[in-house]
Amino acid sequence: MKPDRIERDIVIAAPIERVWKVLTAPEHVGVWFGQGQPVEIDLRPGGTMVLDHGIHGIFPTRIVTVEEPQRFSYRWASAHPGEPATEENSTLVEFTLSTEGDKTRLVVVETGFASLEIPPEREATAGYDSHTAGWLEVTGNLARYAEQL
Amino acid sequence: MPVPSGGRDSTDNVDSVLAALADPMRRRILDLLAGHPESTATLLAGELPVSRQAVVQHLAVLESVELVASGRVGRERRYRVRPERLTATASWMRRVAQQWDSRLNAIRLLAEAAEPPVDD
Repeated sequence: MKPDRIERDIVIAAPIERVWKVLTAPEHVGVWFGQGQPVEIDLRPGGTMVLDHGIHGIFPTRIVTVEEPQRFSYRWASAHPGEPATEENSTLVEFTLSTEGDKTRLVVVETGFASLEIPPEREATAGYDSHTAGWLEVTGNLARYAEQL
Repeated sequence: MPVPSGGRDSTDNVDSVLAALADPMRRRILDLLAGHPESTATLLAGELPVSRQAVVQHLAVLESVELVASGRVGRERRYRVRPERLTATASWMRRVAQQWDSRLNAIRLLAEAAEPPVDD
């Protein structure tokens, strides 16, 4: 079954090693996902990375993949502040880095909200565009589809 | 559970909707119902490779998460799609995506700040 997913990406004018460092170094993670303070990171598969999500709570995420400088992933129990992430209570956040000329493409995919597979017939009826097909667009189409009734 | 705007801890409703939609037959039923408002379990079963009883059970799940509503007309129960929960789920997913856009942009700014700009 194809899992539900959110995928976003960005192109960064910096070398891949630099982007990797921003993605995984405690002082940087504390800025892009945190309250500005360095976060606690045990950077290895099975290690814990503590994310401070402000009013939403503090999340001890579990690191799954560390493949410098291409892949970094962790599990995040986003609905359960304070609880360690397990297979059952969390989504999987996967970062993939790739070099594009002198820049770096950074892709983030978050999966595991629930399993949702869009049938082919929906793709036709809902104006589904395979290039931009992410769970987000699919859900949007589903909602618009329903609203037309 | 409280549902703070913009939070990630508002997944209760979303989870139940996504769980209901995880079943391909339930999505087919929802699709069919979208095209045939005020349909009955018997009519829906006529379009599907499953029994009327199975359709009734799927409709009960969809109704329990408020994706469909039903009302009795004579001897038959008629069903229709309720779009509100689908719309709410879509909005939630959109917010999650926007949060990632913000974080990716923060990563970009951090990475580019420490390096001289690269000529295109």
